[in-house]
Amino acid sequence: MEFTTTQLLYFILALPIIFSVTAAANVLSLPLLHWADRLTATLVAGAAGLLLITFNPDMPVHDGYFYIDALSVWMLLIISTLYLAFAWTSKAYLERDTNIRYGYLRRFTHLEGRFYALSHIFVWTMMLVVLVDSLGLMWVTIEATTLVSALLVAFKFTRTSLEAAWKYVMVCTVGICLALLGTILVYYAQLGALGGDMPLDWAYLAEHGSELNPRLAKMAFCFLFVGYGTKIGLAPMHAWLPDTYSEAPSLTSGMLSGALCTCVIYVLLRATIILMPAVGVDFIGTMSIFFGLLTIGIAIPFVVVQRDVKRMLAYSSMENYGLMVAGFGLFIPMAVEASLLHMMNHAFVKYILFYMAGTIVETYSTKNLMRIHGMIHQAPRTAMFWLLGIVGILGMPPMGVFFSEFYILAGFFKANHPYLGILALVLLAGMLIGILYHAMRMLGGRPKRKAAGELMGRVDALAMLVLLLGSGIVSGFIHELPYLGELLTKAAGIVMGGAL
Amino acid sequence: MQYLVVLLIFAVFLQTRMTGLKRAVVCLAAQSGIIACACLVVGFSVGGGLHAVLPGLLTLVVKVIFIPGAMLRLVKKITDDREITSTSRVNYSSLAAAVFLVMGYLLVDRLFPGIEGRDIIAASILMIMTGLSMMVLRKRAIIQMCGLITLENGIYLLGLLITEGLPMVVELGVFLDVLIAAVVLVILTNRMSLSFMTTDTTVMRKLKG
Repeated sequence: MEFTTTQLLYFILALPIIFSVTAAANVLSLPLLHWADRLTATLVAGAAGLLLITFNPDMPVHDGYFYIDALSVWMLLIISTLYLAFAWTSKAYLERDTNIRYGYLRRFTHLEGRFYALSHIFVWTMMLVVLVDSLGLMWVTIEATTLVSALLVAFKFTRTSLEAAWKYVMVCTVGICLALLGTILVYYAQLGALGGDMPLDWAYLAEHGSELNPRLAKMAFCFLFVGYGTKIGLAPMHAWLPDTYSEAPSLTSGMLSGALCTCVIYVLLRATIILMPAVGVDFIGTMSIFFGLLTIGIAIPFVVVQRDVKRMLAYSSMENYGLMVAGFGLFIPMAVEASLLHMMNHAFVKYILFYMAGTIVETYSTKNLMRIHGMIHQAPRTAMFWLLGIVGILGMPPMGVFFSEFYILAGFFKANHPYLGILALVLLAGMLIGILYHAMRMLGGRPKRKAAGELMGRVDALAMLVLLLGSGIVSGFIHELPYLGELLTKAAGIVMGGAL
Repeated sequence: MQYLVVLLIFAVFLQTRMTGLKRAVVCLAAQSGIIACACLVVGFSVGGGLHAVLPGLLTLVVKVIFIPGAMLRLVKKITDDREITSTSRVNYSSLAAAVFLVMGYLLVDRLFPGIEGRDIIAASILMIMTGLSMMVLRKRAIIQMCGLITLENGIYLLGLLITEGLPMVVELGVFLDVLIAAVVLVILTNRMSLSFMTTDTTVMRKLKG
């Protein structure tokens, strides 16, 4: 059977909603609910795979309010793979969390339906972000992701999770309001230069970007950068990020870190492509590299003195966002391609790490990493995947992150910023020392605390393994792989589009 | 339109001086009501049709009736005396608002020299800055929510004036988002008053570093 891109699109967008409504209505029994969750995500990911095969990267599809080109397909693939991983690990996670002996949610029952409904709607809004065609709708969907995920962050309704959720909504909404101001300014510039046709339409604006008023465009870019930068978690607007990631349920932290922030970077990229000809590459590049490196620099001391496992991972996420933004700011095809690849690698590996952190927290019923020792003896499988994830996120070969980080750093030298490249290397080395120190302490030593035993099951271990292998294989052999290599090159071409 | 701007600035100044929660919410509703009127005035001056009436009506339904209504229901549940009226000094807030207004005029003259509706843009900058300062400086959750809506109103007014309204779909989406944001914040505040016994956000300072 042959499907057109539009049919696949409607299929991808319809299924999660149908499932969420069913889950929220609480009509399914628990085993059935778990299977329906897996089925939905598998079908959606399958449809996304089909979309990749049938999609021609040279021919963007513009249909109604949807616009699909190579960049959006790349993002859609990242999101739907995480969605798949979410669905195949959620049963194990929820069973642990509601376990009568040690689970966080043991005092509540029947929360599974609500958790599934919110999570699937969250994924659905993220998919909308990468599929809609205008800057205005991108803003609307990004704000929607904040609101849906806020309920997920506060899901346990403990005091600390409420604090985190409150901070998250307040800081991010202010940031996003500034981005709305930026979007309005883009529209004003469009009205002045091009008239009222195709308001805020991305493809139309990207074609006519050079006609916008430079002063207005610069102002709009500043607002958009600060606004979306807040939501990405760039320093100094990152106050909400570690709190939110550490207090959310682990699966949600993984989604927030892997998928949501990359979605926001995607929107910032779309806006940048439009404004690049009018604002100038130098200004945008300087801003991106400066704030990117600042973010890495600020994250390091917090990692070194950290006591909370998930906060440590949150600061590591900040480091990776900083690196991605700096990579895009270099504006050479190699670095942009590597940054896009890094989005995928970071998403996969960070999902694994947050999932493992959740498992470790349940095993030892503490978040304090100073109290965890000797994981290798007490929970060997958990320890092994934790080690693999840590090695992966630090960018050691042969893990996927190694390739993307290597090309981004090479990009610094190729783009004639050798001193910045050295600075980035030093910063990354600091990060490596901080994280490795903590992780090794947790793995080795003599166990001092009673553990709940080995909590990793077969299905979730397999899902972790697939994610790790996928990230490694895709980044190592990207240009030998069918479809994906061409897609990535085309996506990087779109990001570079305004600069040429 | 001139009268509306004067009324609006008056409402924002009044907003900075409110110490009682209930009055602050009523004041917010009044401010949103003025914005709704401004929407209708701008809409009819540009031309009739659905796009002229809809934003005004939506503002009326969402920001004047629904959100303040939900917030008032929340306020009724709060029984702690210290919260219903606070002793925090508000004179500095009003002074700050005056400074923001002057700054607004200076900014307009620099950024958009000779634009039509200079006063309205200055008023919207006043609202954006006042909303921000209310969210940062005030401690009680409900007042912070008022600040957020004030900020949102300010941006909306600015957009209405310089672009005569965003595209229809985007505008509907913005309203939907404001609506959901209010619902989410009300849920969180409700939970906060259940588990902390107060909606004063200064008690939430456990997460650091």
